[in-house]
Amino acid sequence: MSESSKQPPLNEKLVEVMVQTILRKNGVKPDEVKNNIPEEQKKMIREMVEDLKKQVADFQQNQAKDKSD
Amino acid sequence: MTIYRHSEYDYDVSRGKGDRYSYFMEEPLKSCSCGHSCSGKCSNESSKSPSHKSTESDFTSDNNAFVLQEGTELSFMDQESAELIWVKESCNITVSSTDTQIGVSLQAALQLAIALVLNISIADGTQRDAVSQELTQHFNMAQRNKQKIFIYNTKDAVVTTRDTDLALNLQLMLQVLVALVLLVEIL
Repeated sequence: MSESSKQPPLNEKLVEVMVQTILRKNGVKPDEVKNNIPEEQKKMIREMVEDLKKQVADFQQNQAKDKSD
Repeated sequence: MTIYRHSEYDYDVSRGKGDRYSYFMEEPLKSCSCGHSCSGKCSNESSKSPSHKSTESDFTSDNNAFVLQEGTELSFMDQESAELIWVKESCNITVSSTDTQIGVSLQAALQLAIALVLNISIADGTQRDAVSQELTQHFNMAQRNKQKIFIYNTKDAVVTTRDTDLALNLQLMLQVLVALVLLVEIL
């Protein structure tokens, strides 16, 4: 694996700040939004995000493996 | 435009033991309206079609497009992978390129997920559109990946090419999704 792939391309904090800024700029209040979402939907999204995380990790691992072959 | 040329040699395919061979053949010479044998584009024809050129310049000089803006901003990723593998006077060459199809579908899944989270969490339509537009425009990126490989006078070579740009994009999108989900305290 090359050097650039070892570290995340973007700092997680940076992305967090970016998303936060965009939400605030458009007048979205996370505190209000929190109460809008039903518990079952939260659970669904949680599962979806975990699944996607796994898929991306798998994909990258596959690429790393292919490369070292 | 790239023109692939083939060598003048005859390849002995039967010796290949089932390996994959890649040959690029030259476009057959066409005899065109100018009466000459021209490869690909006719070199004598360009002077005959000035009307085509003028339409093109009309199109580019029309600046109206800069004033208009689409109401929606799509997460558009322009990716171009150009691979030119040139095998000449060689035998037993195995060429393999990465299949990025899985990555592309993963990218679509991530985009959908981000849109879904926004949909659920922001009830107001116009507000949601503004947020999603601003978020997705950060993904807009153009990637060019050009590889040229020239194999000449070689036997028993294995060539593998790979495109890792997509993986980095996927990680960025995943981070945005996770940040979004964390902000609305779903995770």
